[in-house]
Amino acid sequence: MLTTTGQLIVSGVLIGSIYALMSVGLTLIFGVLRIVNFAHGEFLMMAMYGAWLGTRYLGLNAYTAAIAVVPAMFLFGTIVHRLIISPSLDKPHLVVVFATMGLSILMQNVALMIMSADLWDVPPMLGGRSFTFGPFYAKPELLIGFAVSLMVTFILRWIIKTTYLGKAIRATVQDGEAAMLMGIPVPRIFLITFASGSALVGLAACTMMPLFSVFPTVGLNFVLIAFVIVVLGGMGSIEGALLGGICIGIAQSLSSYFIAPAYGQMFFFSLFLLVLIFRPSGLLGQKGTANLGINP
Amino acid sequence: MRNWSRRGIITFAAAVLALTAADTRAQEPIRIGVLLPLTGPFTKNGTEHWEAMQIARDMINERGGVNGRKVELLVADVPSPAAAISDTERLISTQKIKITTGSGLSPLAIAVSQASERAGVFHWETTGAAEIITRRGFKYTFQVGGASRLYAQAAVNFTLEDLAKRLGKSPTDLRIALLWENRAFGKSVGDGVRDYVKTKNIKLIYDEGYDQFATDMTPIVQKLKDVKPDVLIAISFPNDAILFQRKAKELDFYVGALVGVSAGYSNPDLENSIGSVVYGIFDSDFLPKVNPKVLKPEVAQAFDEYNRRYEAKMKRPPAGHASVSFSALWALFNEVFPKAKTFEPDELRQIALSLDLPEGSLANGSGIKFTNNDWAPDLKDAGQNLRAAIGVWQWQKVNGRTEHNPVFPKSLATNEPTLVPLPAWDKR
Amino acid sequence: MARDTDRLDPPMPRVERSWLPLLPERGKISAFEIALLALCVALIAAELPQSLRDVMLLTYLWGGLALAWNIAGGYAGLISFGHAAFFGIGAYTSTILGVNYEITPWIGIWVGAAISGVFGALLTLICARLRGPFFILSTLAASEVVRIGALNWATLTGGPEGLAIRPVPSVLNMVFASKTTYAILMLGYLVAIYLITKVIERSRYGFYLGAIRDDEDAASSAGINPLFIRVSAMCLSALLTSVGGSLFAQYFLYLDPTHVISPELSFQFALLPALGGLGTAIGPVLGAFAITPLSELLRSYLGDAAAGLHLAIYGAVVIVVMLYFPGGMAAALERLRPRRRAEPA
Repeated sequence: MLTTTGQLIVSGVLIGSIYALMSVGLTLIFGVLRIVNFAHGEFLMMAMYGAWLGTRYLGLNAYTAAIAVVPAMFLFGTIVHRLIISPSLDKPHLVVVFATMGLSILMQNVALMIMSADLWDVPPMLGGRSFTFGPFYAKPELLIGFAVSLMVTFILRWIIKTTYLGKAIRATVQDGEAAMLMGIPVPRIFLITFASGSALVGLAACTMMPLFSVFPTVGLNFVLIAFVIVVLGGMGSIEGALLGGICIGIAQSLSSYFIAPAYGQMFFFSLFLLVLIFRPSGLLGQKGTANLGINP
Repeated sequence: MRNWSRRGIITFAAAVLALTAADTRAQEPIRIGVLLPLTGPFTKNGTEHWEAMQIARDMINERGGVNGRKVELLVADVPSPAAAISDTERLISTQKIKITTGSGLSPLAIAVSQASERAGVFHWETTGAAEIITRRGFKYTFQVGGASRLYAQAAVNFTLEDLAKRLGKSPTDLRIALLWENRAFGKSVGDGVRDYVKTKNIKLIYDEGYDQFATDMTPIVQKLKDVKPDVLIAISFPNDAILFQRKAKELDFYVGALVGVSAGYSNPDLENSIGSVVYGIFDSDFLPKVNPKVLKPEVAQAFDEYNRRYEAKMKRPPAGHASVSFSALWALFNEVFPKAKTFEPDELRQIALSLDLPEGSLANGSGIKFTNNDWAPDLKDAGQNLRAAIGVWQWQKVNGRTEHNPVFPKSLATNEPTLVPLPAWDKR
Repeated sequence: MARDTDRLDPPMPRVERSWLPLLPERGKISAFEIALLALCVALIAAELPQSLRDVMLLTYLWGGLALAWNIAGGYAGLISFGHAAFFGIGAYTSTILGVNYEITPWIGIWVGAAISGVFGALLTLICARLRGPFFILSTLAASEVVRIGALNWATLTGGPEGLAIRPVPSVLNMVFASKTTYAILMLGYLVAIYLITKVIERSRYGFYLGAIRDDEDAASSAGINPLFIRVSAMCLSALLTSVGGSLFAQYFLYLDPTHVISPELSFQFALLPALGGLGTAIGPVLGAFAITPLSELLRSYLGDAAAGLHLAIYGAVVIVVMLYFPGGMAAALERLRPRRRAEPA
C-alpha cells in the first residue's frame, strides 16, 4: 500500500510538473496582460504538431525539435498579439474572451483540415525502459519533462527578479501608466510577454510529444487542466503554476486510484470550484485579483 | 405461313413483350441512401465503410444487378450526430429515397436511424452496435452487425474457453479484470461483460470505467498491478489505448493476456504508435476474415473478390468493420432484394423479418435472424440480428507481416492464438 | 416677428410619437421586429422541404436560447461559458420524468426549469465575489461537473448511452409528427423570451442590470443590491435556457451527456448573442438567424470539400466581428437609423 501510494505520488509529481510547464505561459500572460487566452489549448496543439513535423521531416527528435518549435511559437505569438490581442486590450474584456474563443475554433478546424483527425505520435527514442528508484518506476521522458519544468521556473524567476526586462515587467504589472511615464515601452512589454507565453507552450509541447498523441482537439484535454492550475497556483505566479501543477497531478493520481477513475475529472473540477470560491487568488497569487477581475 | 406455328408466334410475341417490359424496368436503378462520416473526426472509419460499400455495389452491378435492376448508392456526409439528423433528412427528401444504410459508429447510427424512421424509410444499419438502436420501438431499422452484448460475450467466452486452458487455470480460478472507457460503446460492452460473467458465477477482480479525456493512466495501471489479473478485457478508444499501453510498459504492469474490444485495439494504426508491443493483443470484434470452409461457396468467392479489390484500391487489407459493411450490403442485395417487388419499406421489412439464414451465410460468417418484439431477454427489442458473428482475432506477426488473424470461435478461426501468456515487456 | 428657430436652444429630443419606431429600440417594439416576426410565421406556413424546415425550427430554438443567455450575459454582464449545464438539466429532467415516471413534458419542462433556476442562482451565489475571467471559468467548471455527473450517474441518466424518447406522436407526450408544430412551438419560445427581454428593458430591473454591468461599485453606492441582481438575472437566464433544453429533447428525441452538456454548446450560446449584439433584444435573434442557417448551408456545401472548413470560417468570422464590429449586427443595424435633427418643441 505504501509502495502504491508512493508510486502514485511520484507519478503525480512528474506528470504534474509537465502540466505546470504547459500552464506557466498562461499564467504569465494573465499576470501581465490581465487576459485569459482561451485558445491556449490550441497553441499547445499547434506546437505539438510542429514538434511532430520536426521529427517527421527534419529528422529531429521531439526534444531537439524545440530549436525550431520554440522560436516558431514565439513568432506565432507575436502575430496573434499584433492582430488580435493588442487591438482588444482597450476594449471591454469580453472582446478578447470571444476573440480568443474564435481563434480557438479557427485553429482547431484548420488543424483538422490540414492534418486530418488521425492521431500522430513521435517514434519512441529513449529505449522505453523506465528508471527505477527503489520500488518506484519513472519513465525517462517524464523525468526530462520534470527537469525542464523546474529549469524553466527557475530561469523565469531569475529573469523577472534580476534582469531589466524582468523589472520592466514587474513595473508594468504594478502600474501600467506609471511604467509608461518612466519610459517603459508598455505595449512592447505586452508583446514580449504574450510571445514568450506562446514560446513556453512550444517548449511544453516538445516535452509532451513523447508522452501523448496529437490530434486536432487534443487542446481540449489539456486546456481545462491549465486553467485549473493557473487559478490554483495564483494567476500571474510562476512558482504558483509549478506548485499548482504538482498539486493537481498528485490529486488526480490519488483520487483516481482511491475513489474512481471515472470521477477523476469531476474531482478536480470540484477542487477548482472550491478554490475559486474560497481562495480565488490561489496558493501563491496576489490577494484580491479575483475580485478585481479585469477593468472593463 | 405454315412454318410459324401459332405457338411459336405467341411465344415469340410473349418473349418480345417480356423483354421490353423487363427493359423498361431495368432502366430504373434501386436507389439507396448511404449515410457515413466522410469528413470530421471519424473520416477514416467512414471512408473505409464507403469503399467497401462501393465494391459491393460494383460487384452486384457487374453481375447484372438485382433482377436486372442496377443498384445506385447516393452518399451523404454525416460528420457528427448533431448533423446526422438534418443531413439524413436532406438526403431522403431531396433524393426521394426509401432505403438507407450506414452509419459508421453507434452515435451516428442512433441519429441516422431516428431520422430514417421518422421519414418511414427502411434502414439497414451495418455496424452500429449500441443496444438502444433496436430498443426504441422502431419498425424499419435493422441492425445487421452485432449488438454490443455480443462483443462482450465473445471476449468472455474466449477468455473462459480458450485462454483459461492456455494460462493453466480453471475458468473459475481465472482472475479477470475489466476496464471500460466511459462512452456509449465502452459502457455498453462493459455492462455486457459484467452481466455475462455473473451468469457464469464468476466475479471480476477489477471493474472500472474511466473518462475519455484521461491524460494520465498511472492510477489505473497501478491498481491493476495491485490486483494482478490473468486476463484484462479492455474497451478503449485509440487515444487511451496508446496511453494505457505506454503506461503499462512504464510501470511494468504484466498481464497474461489482453483482450481488447473493437475501437482502439482494432485500429490498424495502433502499430504505428506502440510498435511491436502490439503483437499478442487480442481483439473482440468483427472478424476481418473467417475460415472459408464455413461459408457458402458463392459467398466465400464474393468475399475473396472483395478482399482483392479492396486491397488493390486502398493498398492494405480491409478493416473488420469495413468488411461487415460489405457483408451486410451483399446480403441485402442477394437475400432481401431478390424477393422484393415494390421495394417499399413495408415490403422490405416483411422480407427482413422473414429471413432465417444460418451462420456462414454472410461473408463475415454471420447469419441473419432479426428480433421482432419476440426476444425473451427484452421484448422491446426489434430489428437486432441475433446471428451476427463477433469473434476474437489476434495481432500476429506472420512471415514479417502484421496480420489480424481470427482465433475464436473455432468454427470461424483461421489461426491458433500465439504468445499466451504474453512475454515480459523487454521481449516484446 | 420672432421665429422660434432664431432662439439658440439646446437640441430638443424628438417628441415621443405613439406610432412604431422603424428600427429596434430599447423597450419598444419596432416595425423591423414585427416584419421579422411576420417573416418567421410566413416561413412556418410555407411549403418548405423537410430539411429546410428542420433548419428553420432549429434557428428559432437557437434564437430563444441566445436571448436567454443574453439576459445574464448581455444585460447583466455575467458572461457564462457554462449554460449547457442548464440546457442539459432541462432536457434530462423533462425526459427522465417523461420516460421513467410517465409525467407529461408539459409539466416536466417546468420542473426542469425550476431545478435549473435554483442551480443557476446557487452557482452565482457561491461565486459571488468572482469577476471577469474568474467568473467565466467557474461557469465552465460547473458545467463540466454537471456533464461528468450525468455521464456517470447511469441509473438516472442512462450514462453515455443516453436516453431516447419514443417517436410516437402524441400531444400529451409532446411528440409531434409534423415539423410545422415543432416550428410553432420553437417560435413561440423565441417570441416569449423576446417579450420578456423587452419588458425587462422597459423596467427598472433592466436599468439595474445595466448598472451592475457597467460599474458595480457605483451601482452599489446608488443603493442597488448587486448580489440580488446577479443571482436573479442568472436564475432567470438558467430557467429559460432550461425550457429550451426540454424543447430540444422533445424534438431530437435522443440525449447523451457528451453532446447535450458540452463546452462547445456553451460557447455557441455565448457566441450567437456576441455576434448579434449583446445587451440588445434583437441582437441574439440576428445572431441566431444569421449563423444557424449559414452554418448548416456551409456544412452541406463545404463539408464535403474539407472537414472543418465551415467551422474554420466561423471562427474567423467571430474574430473579425469581435475586433471590428463589437456591437455585433445590432450595432450595424443602428447605423441605418435615420439621423435625428434638433426640432423645436
